[in-house]
Amino acid sequence: MRLKLTHTRYVLFVLWICLLFVAPTPSFAKQEQEAPGLELARQAVKTEKKPTTADHSQFKALQQAFTSGPEISKACISCHTKAADQLKETLHWTWRDANSPKDNQKGKAGYSLNNFCISANGMHDHHCNECHIGWNTEGKKAEIDCLRCHGQKKINWEEVFEDYRYFTESEDPEENALAKDVQAEIREAAQSIGYPTRKNCGSCHFSGGGGDGVKHGDLDSSLINPNRELDVHMGYDGQDFDCVRCHTTVAHKVAGRIYGTPASDTRQSLLEHDMEPKIMCESCHSDNPHQSNSKMNDHTDKVACQSCHVPEFAKVLPVQVWWDWSRAGKKKDGKLYDVKGPFDKPVYQSGRGETKWEKNVIPKYFWFNGSIQGVTAKDIIDPSKLVKLAWPDGDRNDKNARIFPFNVHLGKQPYDTENKTIAAPLLSGEQGYWTTFDWQDSIQRGADYLNLPFSGKIGFVETGYVFPSTHMVAPREEALECNQCHIRPESRLANLTGFYMPGRDRVKPVDIAGWVIVLCSFGGIVLHALGRIFTNGRKKEE
Amino acid sequence: MLKRLVLTLISLVFVFTAAGIGLAGETGNARKGKYTYRNVYKSCNEHGEIDSPRPVLNPDAKTQAQWTRVFEKKDFGEFKCNGEWSKLSDKDLNDIYTYLHSYAADSPSPAKCK
Repeated sequence: MRLKLTHTRYVLFVLWICLLFVAPTPSFAKQEQEAPGLELARQAVKTEKKPTTADHSQFKALQQAFTSGPEISKACISCHTKAADQLKETLHWTWRDANSPKDNQKGKAGYSLNNFCISANGMHDHHCNECHIGWNTEGKKAEIDCLRCHGQKKINWEEVFEDYRYFTESEDPEENALAKDVQAEIREAAQSIGYPTRKNCGSCHFSGGGGDGVKHGDLDSSLINPNRELDVHMGYDGQDFDCVRCHTTVAHKVAGRIYGTPASDTRQSLLEHDMEPKIMCESCHSDNPHQSNSKMNDHTDKVACQSCHVPEFAKVLPVQVWWDWSRAGKKKDGKLYDVKGPFDKPVYQSGRGETKWEKNVIPKYFWFNGSIQGVTAKDIIDPSKLVKLAWPDGDRNDKNARIFPFNVHLGKQPYDTENKTIAAPLLSGEQGYWTTFDWQDSIQRGADYLNLPFSGKIGFVETGYVFPSTHMVAPREEALECNQCHIRPESRLANLTGFYMPGRDRVKPVDIAGWVIVLCSFGGIVLHALGRIFTNGRKKEE
Repeated sequence: MLKRLVLTLISLVFVFTAAGIGLAGETGNARKGKYTYRNVYKSCNEHGEIDSPRPVLNPDAKTQAQWTRVFEKKDFGEFKCNGEWSKLSDKDLNDIYTYLHSYAADSPSPAKCK
């Protein structure tokens, strides 16, 4: 009986030990549950891509023989009667920030400058106008090109219309027959209509500044067909989002552009306001996206999601980080020349000067309230300092500011040494710098287009330009670890000063007090030990 | 032996020069060649021989000299769609050659098939 009881106790003991291991399992399982922010986002984008309700090949207006681009737009507008008027009100068409002062208006059609091709000269530079949504490079004088954003078939329109004209006017019956093929190609492209794809948006936004990956760092042609590793939202094996999934659009106004005006005034989730644009991370993920017991939720008021979730950019293709115009115009054996460097990218071009490229770039972090402040062609500069052509606005004391990652591009640009303004040279065309290689003449022409004075005295000054890093969102397992910021001295946030950050910063009096306590404790232990030794010794003697 | 070798070399040079002059002499219609070239692949795709109606090789896939060599030899194996290529007349081939040659990798305006 005694043995049986012992045996039962033994079994119970083993069961109890097992329970110790098994019991925590449910709480572990709970921790493995999806973060609320992820769950909310899944619900927000539950529906598949916007279903189309029209087969455009069925529309009579699109079954005619088209001989020019504007004829196609006319056909579009015959049904979408408000589209043209809507588009002409948007930044995509006006290239002007309506919220900036009228006498110093920002935007490419205004006085804005950048670190790349410097200025669009009030839309007089036809090279820049290639990205304006018109059928030609005449800027706002051109007819709207609906297919630039909505066309699903890539086609060289200029070439195809020229071919069509040639074959139609030919006297060779074989060539007349080919005209039918060409028209079929035109019609097929005109009828292939849809919501803008990554390719549509990327045709300009991936190659802005004069080439693929020149400008943004987090936007380049690698995003046309990215995997999840490159961007969790756009990856074909991730959510497979097109740009317009987050850059939501109302009456052709696409959310997301930042000049002085933030991309969004609020960081509300769609649960709080269902008509909010989905442009902020919080729109879908909420501002408490992590598990309820996670310390990371305490960061969201001061640290933007991108700071941890976009740990690096230019992950597939390199990004340009330096453009020095002061070195442009050199010739070798009397001829213009290019030199290619790492990544097969140009490091010198006679027409552009010196450039540098980098890959897998770690962002720079700034306090950012959503506005970008810039220097225009009208603003007076201090040439002894870096001229910040576009720089994040906000500081630690700004309640709307959070720590945000940026791509910082640096360069050297011409400026008027007497008027102390950045020059806006005309670059393209027969009279542009790329043809004449004459700074005096091209700057004078650029200034004339903008009705600005030019003293004729030129110098070069260092300029900086930032882009918020908000695309190329990494899978969560690649997000930043705590010790990439909360560490001394290699903290990613080492440049952000004026506040205490655990792990990164030290407060001298606290440090001294700590060491005093440690030393005192140690001294106490030593004294105590010595006391013991001596008193024990005495006892033995007694 | 040496005489035979010299004669063979001279004959070869003559043959290639004649072929080159033949191709260069009668310049085809590049614009027409572009569409004839595309039609080869459209119809090949319709027959299910290839997955895409896009031409297999872009003009900028080869240099002008390489295109000349391909058309001299009439070796179109690399182009796939043998059936379609065999239906083309010499005039069609010359038009296609002119198109590919005009927009070759080392031409003033290298092109892809758009």
